[in-house]
Amino acid sequence: MSAGRRRPVHVSVLTHAFLVLVSLATVYPILQIVTVSLRPTDSLYSTSLALIPEHATLRAYYAILFEKQFLLWMRNSALVSLAVTVFGVVLASTAAYAFSRFRFPGWRMGLYSFLLTQLFPATMLMLPLYVLMRALHLLDTFAGLTIAYTATALPFCVWTMRGYYDTIPVELEQAALIDGCGPWTAFTRVTLPLAAPALTITALFSFMSAWSEFLVARIVVSSLSLYTLPLGLESLAGVFQTEWANYAAGSLLVCVPVMALFVFLNRWLVSGLSLGGVKG
Amino acid sequence: MMRSRWCAPLALAALLAATLPACAPKSGRSARTIVIWEQMDPEERVRFEANLAAFRQTHPDVEIQHTPYETEQLRTQFQTAAAGGGGPDLVFGPSDQVGPLSLLQTIQPLDQALPAGFFDRYVPSSLDTLDGHIYAAPDQVGNHLVLCFNRRLVPQAPTTAEEFVALARRLTRGGVYGFAMNLTEPYWLVPFLGGYGGWIMDAQAAPTLDTPAMVQALTFLKGLRDLRVLPQECDYQIAETLFKEGKAAMIVNGPWSWSGYRRAGVDLGIAPLFRMPGGRWAQPMVASKGYSISVNVPKEKMPLVTELVEYLTSPEAELRSVRELAILPSHKDAYGDSSLVQDPYLAVSLQAIEKGRRMPVVPEMRVIWDAMRPEMQNVMNGIKTPAGGARAMQQAAVAQIAAMKK
Amino acid sequence: MNATIRAPRSFPYLLLLPALVAMLLVVLFPLLYNIFLAFRNMSLYHFTDHTFVGLEQFRELFAQPVLYVLFGKSLLWTVLNVFFHVVIGVALAMLLAGPVRGRALYRTLLILPWAMPQYISALTWRGMFNYEYGAVNLILQRLHLPAVPWLSDPTWAFLAPVIVNIWLGFPFMMIVALGALTAIPHDLYEAADLDGAGAWLKFRHVTWPQILPVLTPAVLLGTVWTFNNMVVIWLVSQQGRPADQTHIMVTWIYKVAFTYYRYSYAAAFSVVVFLILLAFVVFTLRRAAPLEQAK
Repeated sequence: MSAGRRRPVHVSVLTHAFLVLVSLATVYPILQIVTVSLRPTDSLYSTSLALIPEHATLRAYYAILFEKQFLLWMRNSALVSLAVTVFGVVLASTAAYAFSRFRFPGWRMGLYSFLLTQLFPATMLMLPLYVLMRALHLLDTFAGLTIAYTATALPFCVWTMRGYYDTIPVELEQAALIDGCGPWTAFTRVTLPLAAPALTITALFSFMSAWSEFLVARIVVSSLSLYTLPLGLESLAGVFQTEWANYAAGSLLVCVPVMALFVFLNRWLVSGLSLGGVKG
Repeated sequence: MMRSRWCAPLALAALLAATLPACAPKSGRSARTIVIWEQMDPEERVRFEANLAAFRQTHPDVEIQHTPYETEQLRTQFQTAAAGGGGPDLVFGPSDQVGPLSLLQTIQPLDQALPAGFFDRYVPSSLDTLDGHIYAAPDQVGNHLVLCFNRRLVPQAPTTAEEFVALARRLTRGGVYGFAMNLTEPYWLVPFLGGYGGWIMDAQAAPTLDTPAMVQALTFLKGLRDLRVLPQECDYQIAETLFKEGKAAMIVNGPWSWSGYRRAGVDLGIAPLFRMPGGRWAQPMVASKGYSISVNVPKEKMPLVTELVEYLTSPEAELRSVRELAILPSHKDAYGDSSLVQDPYLAVSLQAIEKGRRMPVVPEMRVIWDAMRPEMQNVMNGIKTPAGGARAMQQAAVAQIAAMKK
Repeated sequence: MNATIRAPRSFPYLLLLPALVAMLLVVLFPLLYNIFLAFRNMSLYHFTDHTFVGLEQFRELFAQPVLYVLFGKSLLWTVLNVFFHVVIGVALAMLLAGPVRGRALYRTLLILPWAMPQYISALTWRGMFNYEYGAVNLILQRLHLPAVPWLSDPTWAFLAPVIVNIWLGFPFMMIVALGALTAIPHDLYEAADLDGAGAWLKFRHVTWPQILPVLTPAVLLGTVWTFNNMVVIWLVSQQGRPADQTHIMVTWIYKVAFTYYRYSYAAAFSVVVFLILLAFVVFTLRRAAPLEQAK
């Protein structure tokens, strides 16, 4: 924001107080989940508010990692999610560029159509999706999952990238074109690096679309060997009896790669044009 | 496209795309592969996998793939898959799934598909007939609600409703409730309905929810809540938590929960639900879970599939881990086994089943449950009177069944 | 802005074709299938042999009050959620974009609700809302406020999933806003400082216009997603409790389709939802956030 100017102390204190409060409220339910994972009695709830339960045990973590197929689920999820991330970033960044920089017949329809697909309640799309996947022989394949997830992640990614491209002055690419670059090089050498924050959002969103998605996975996958993390965790749940401790431990472990990815991508959320003086 | 920085990532993407199809399993369904879609509690599944392993020892060339599903999804996806000519060979789930599945003609009538006399081996109370046919081969009978109590707090189980209420009141003190129960699901209401002489439907599967017996049953449960012998907001999870932590002396729950209670350290005692005022025993619903065979199984495969079903419902398979799971077998011969006879929980469980009544498996069941649920909650929350609730239940059930059949 | 770049005519089409194909392939058929179903009578008793019934499903739908009640609830649900998502997300992003000590840690903690699987988060929150034993009421009582029957009173039972969904949704908005904020060049702020602008004016004339292009898709799609969000209400209210009072349009659609097997009716209902959201999107894009942004 206003770089180089020291903020008054009371603003700093208020800011930190607010942030601490919000962080606490945000993290508290997560701590409850940690408690569930440590509880020896497989109980989701408890009458005691203690964060560390009586006879706390790490058994659930051991069970989920080594007695269940957690590592297999994670491998499958990682494969699919990374593929979706790559495809999402590549397809969205190119398609959005077209919508941002060009006015061609059908551009409005095209842009709208990306949005229209999100308007229908997802639960009703599941059964015809099954029929479709079956017809295309994509059932029980990673390809089927990847295509489905990429398709659902694209609308947001395309629109966001487009919005971000719109804030990058076209003069920069025009300058590159004058210098003799072709349009593709102008795009990749000039525009894309400046769009790093949007690419980060796209990557993160695409990853999350696949990593924590359950409904589509349930439809497409029926072989245990292809189980993704949401499906695997779901198999721990019974009608009434659920292995809550294992489920909680698994859920927490599921978070870890996402957090790692976020920490890794964080630096690109702050680069880009905040170097100053680039735009004018 | 020059030597651009993005050539590499694009190539990577293309490579990934090329490898994806190869990551699919060889899902070629051979004649010796059996696919089962099942709904089971995690512990039940452990036994199931052990049984499958034992079957494979005698049939080493047979491959069996099974996929767990949640109840609703099992039904929905099986419907879609089977109606489209695909899906698994066997589907295992609660007995009431045969209603919709048979209607959609996705499962075979087993009394015709399997050899004559196949079902003689099962205990009669484990079989369901729908439109004159049997659609599932059961591997258990039970699912019945009983009175579970903490022996440290309750030395002897009450046998009448009056005893029960007095006991619950006496035990409610010092942060401990005398009782806890899932007050949000009609499955827990039904035993008391039966205890007052009523039932949810008649012989023609028409709902009979607006009866004096229903009003009495609702009044009884609401009365317990008003006496504050159980928490005001009591659903399944809360009731379980309280009982596991020793903060509730008694609970009404089924066999699926007992091992969890014992593992949590509760000194568990079980007893059939008590007699209601008027002399009748409370009548919990009794249900099975079983294997149904898809209509898409080719004729050549039927003998193998039949063999598997036979094994999975044999005394050997059903007696595995029977004490831990507290699931009563469906096979007559299993009942001679000593482990069954000597286990105190299973003996009481059997007594409770004798007082129970078979859960209907007609498709209308779902609608009836759904009609009962909100009104039961309304009565418990004091928003409607028992009489008003009963009337509303009946109206909703009739209306929705009519709409469903349009 | 949006001036074009000289390039071969096919260039933009090549750029967007892969994305368009992938998306249409997966979504178009299910969409059309549902629209098709809405004009038929597919149900449990007519699963494979359903027939054309014209506008019958729609006639029944519009004749019942449930459609209008649920529409109102969906509207309230969406407005409450999106408002707080944006306000909290943008506020946090503004705080964390600046020179705050430990901001990396804050950002990481604040993204946890998004990273955590929804199923267990929702159920944990449900436990926290329990009247007697839940953490929320216990904290309220410590603050000398009365305990709230979160899950048994219809009004509070509606607010409980709202709170949960706000918790689940603000990190996403925060990330998008953070990305948008970093694009704002410092000289714009310096120019504003030179003009003597205070914090609010800087926000209104520098920050907000700059982040709007990037924030708009998130808010637009966020609104649509919230309107169509079935999972949170379903899990927190345990399928509509108390007494089916906690429903919005999409949860009711799910129930009708999978409890009553009335697939065509549910499809018709879904088409209505689609049209409502379509009207919203078109209106918003025309008026509030035109595709051609004036710079």
